[in-house]
Amino acid sequence: MTRIHKQESLLVESRFMWASIVLLVAISGLLLRLWYIQIYKGDYYREVSERNRVRKIEIPAPRGIIFDRNGEVVLGNRPFYDLVYIPQYVADKDTTFKIISRLLHVPVTRFEARLEMAQSQPKFLPVALKRDLSQHEVSIIEANKIFLPGIEVRVAPRRDYGPEVPPHLLGYLKEIDPEALDTLNVTSQENPYLLGDLVGKQGIELRWEKYLRGQRGYRLIQVDAFGRQSQGLEETGFSLPNVPSKPGADLELTIDYELQKATKAAFAGKNGAVVVLNPQTGEVLAAVSEPGFDPKMMQQGVSPEDWRELIENPFKPLLDKTSGGEFPPGSVYKSVVAMAGLEEHVIDENRTVYCPGFYTLGNRRFYCHDRKGHGTVNMAKAMLKSCDVYFYQVGIELGVDRIARYAKAFGLGEKLGVALNMEKPGLIPTSAWKMLTYRLPWAGGDTPNISIGQGYDLITPMQMANLYATIANGGKLWKPYYVNKVTNHVGETIYEHHPELIRDVKEVSPKTFAMVRAALQAVVMEPGGTGKNAAVEGVTVAGKSGSVQVVSLKKNTNKPGSDVSSYWKEHAMFTAFSPTENAEIAIAVVSQNDIVGGGGKSAAPVAGKIIARYWQLKRERAASAQAQNKDEINGKQEKAN
Amino acid sequence: MANRKKQTEGVFLLPEGDLKRPRSPQITLLCTLFVALLTMGLINLYSASLGAGYFASQVKNLAITLSAFVLFGWVIPIRQVNAYAYWFLGVVAALLLIVLFTGRVAGGAQRWISLGPISFQPSEMAKLAVVLTVARFFSSNRQDAPYTIRDLLPLAATVGVVFVLIFAQPDFGTAGVCGLIAICMLSFIRINLRSIGLVFLSVPIVAALLWNIFLMPYQKLRVLNALNPELDPQNSGYHALQSLIAVGSGGVFGKGFTQGTQAHLRFLPERHTDFIFSVFAEEHGFWGSVVIFTVFAFITYIALDIARHSKDTFASLVAVGVGSLIFLEFAINVSMVMGIFPVVGIPLPFFSFGSSAMLTVCISLGLLISVNRSNSGVSKRN
Repeated sequence: MTRIHKQESLLVESRFMWASIVLLVAISGLLLRLWYIQIYKGDYYREVSERNRVRKIEIPAPRGIIFDRNGEVVLGNRPFYDLVYIPQYVADKDTTFKIISRLLHVPVTRFEARLEMAQSQPKFLPVALKRDLSQHEVSIIEANKIFLPGIEVRVAPRRDYGPEVPPHLLGYLKEIDPEALDTLNVTSQENPYLLGDLVGKQGIELRWEKYLRGQRGYRLIQVDAFGRQSQGLEETGFSLPNVPSKPGADLELTIDYELQKATKAAFAGKNGAVVVLNPQTGEVLAAVSEPGFDPKMMQQGVSPEDWRELIENPFKPLLDKTSGGEFPPGSVYKSVVAMAGLEEHVIDENRTVYCPGFYTLGNRRFYCHDRKGHGTVNMAKAMLKSCDVYFYQVGIELGVDRIARYAKAFGLGEKLGVALNMEKPGLIPTSAWKMLTYRLPWAGGDTPNISIGQGYDLITPMQMANLYATIANGGKLWKPYYVNKVTNHVGETIYEHHPELIRDVKEVSPKTFAMVRAALQAVVMEPGGTGKNAAVEGVTVAGKSGSVQVVSLKKNTNKPGSDVSSYWKEHAMFTAFSPTENAEIAIAVVSQNDIVGGGGKSAAPVAGKIIARYWQLKRERAASAQAQNKDEINGKQEKAN
Repeated sequence: MANRKKQTEGVFLLPEGDLKRPRSPQITLLCTLFVALLTMGLINLYSASLGAGYFASQVKNLAITLSAFVLFGWVIPIRQVNAYAYWFLGVVAALLLIVLFTGRVAGGAQRWISLGPISFQPSEMAKLAVVLTVARFFSSNRQDAPYTIRDLLPLAATVGVVFVLIFAQPDFGTAGVCGLIAICMLSFIRINLRSIGLVFLSVPIVAALLWNIFLMPYQKLRVLNALNPELDPQNSGYHALQSLIAVGSGGVFGKGFTQGTQAHLRFLPERHTDFIFSVFAEEHGFWGSVVIFTVFAFITYIALDIARHSKDTFASLVAVGVGSLIFLEFAINVSMVMGIFPVVGIPLPFFSFGSSAMLTVCISLGLLISVNRSNSGVSKRN
């Protein structure tokens, strides 16, 4: 033993054993915890970490492009910059909102409202705070991005509305209703809607939503804790999936955009609707409903004030009046009564009625629109002058139910099936209908009014145009349609529409049709005809005017700022087709509460302008096609040489 | 002396003869573990700081830290350390004072002083100072009867000064570790039972006072969030939660070296310092972590063993202090990363980036070796 112990250690020996035990317990505890996290809950944390680092970025699909029948783009898309808010990454909501509010001059309450709407969705999904940022706004946000964690500018393709886009026909897009989301997604589980998605709310956008919307794509990106995209894993050899979006299918409309524009221009300043059909197929060539609205505003999120204004406007800007507006047809209806009379042998071409300016039924007097009277009139003359008395007489002799039978043969009083959401059936009264609705028998005094298209009669401009199209084509009741063809994003035709015959109007003979057509041509082309304003040089035009006294809407006249006098004006109608035989175009013009005058004065020129434009376009297109043909031939010859 | 020997009979696990072995295999073992930890730490830091300069910086400091290890292990005898223990304490206290008034602020606290290009964290050295002070106190105030609170008052005052100076920075974690090291060392000393009872009674009162007076709101939040990190992601519990995700997602075998997505995609805050273990756990999984745990436990056990075999109170207490320093830091850091302890900013020895912390643990291990050498009589020949 070489060592000398100078002193004994002060430490208590037994404590070392205790220390070893403490050490063992501590290390066991730590190992237990380690086991719990890494093994027992390892899968859970692994999943969390996967979500943490890889973020799914949705790639919105551009909606299908809508072309007109000639391949002209009616409605396309352009990139929009949206300000989105990702709740998961925002530490201080109030400060963030305050900053953006100051940068973009938008009140904080707007953001709050938008956020509230999205409350139910997961926190990692973006909420659009403001749509369609300008370039300037984008740069402001990007410059301040470091102060705005969780705020991003996202680019998405959206509808690019030009000034000429027919809002009612195409409809509009609006952010999906949070409550409707779940029900909608039941039917589209593979391609679900997300909050903030724009969906078609009306017209073609609604009807063809399934085809137009396309399929959202996505890509996974790696992000850091601040949501910033970090370098990919390329260098480590595996790449993240990137599923491109599938654009929606393109629609080819039956609309002729040039004619549509001309129709809109011709109808400018009026309220109501114009429908232009191809009488040989039922294709809708143009459809205008006025007043319109701005679909752009809907897409970007309409403010409550603007929405109220749209809703409260007495002329109902949101309503598609072409198939959803029901109007008393007025004298336009006389063709139906005339055909019924001829077919039922109540009248023939020679039968005359004397018009003293009024018609007496019992002790009631029904006046003609011209109180001076038209004298002795036959069918042709009565149509020409639109003599009411003649049709009172014919109507009384036919009775309401026989008139209704003919009206219904032409598809009046029920939906044509144009498959637009606002379509209305109109109303063709019968005695049974009155009994059912009012519990009153049909009174003899009801008949004169309905014989001249007033009283209970209601038809839509679409039905009106289709009625005259059927007269023009000699009894083929086509179903009007808007979409010729649907082509998917790779160019395959996935839907093609063929003209669909609702029915053959066998109740009316070709002879009667010819007779009515001749009478209608006279209305436009003979001197003294009520439709002379619709005449177009160089072509035959047949038509019928109509004017309807309006006593409704009185309750609205006290609204401040509205044009009070216009509510008292009459509806001006005009229906026409051209040429008289083998017509290519059939038109109905309904000018609601027209301030210019009756149908002949106000609506007929509109029809005239549209018809003129139609023929002009046809000539121009033929000429350019010919020129192109010639060029091609020349080119071939040159090549041959 | 005979009395003492009688008392300890039967408690010793090793036979008497084992004490007289001329050379301990513990030095080789310690050196092996030291090198192993240093290597693992550096490799892990490389992964944790991909693209950042921490790894290179740590390697550069290696020259200083290694020479400190050798210096305290083989060059300076433990008696010398004993002689300068209070001086060391004085220097550290002075540096802590300087830090308080002129220190560089980082991470919301004043912890660094800059000496030219080197930034230095005196609070790290303070841990060592506490070890040496406590050891020195008992080696120079020997008494056979149990110590009473009055006997310990001077010690409490000196350590208290260091504690308060660090606490004021504020560095709650380091101050706490200093206090705990002192307590660990005291637990090997015979102390009057009544005094212990008194201390234990006063602890909750002092803790409550500290909580209400000294703790910054962010520190209070940290304590609360450690209990339930899922409560408030993105904010104060964010660090804890992200590190929990990192550790947990490591699973059984880990994601592989440099494949820790949590860390590399910057979900992990402070991943090169306080949360470095989560990088390791994520990449090397449960079994990798078990290795680390074992190594730290082993080092601690060796420290205790060395202390037990030392006949010199100072050396023995230094070994206990160093062992508790390393184990406490390891346990607190790992608990923090595993979400069972508040985020208090305690580095993981050998793994965390930081020259001051590295220097401290290297000196500590050096001291351990020095103690062991004195045990086996090697130092006697000097």
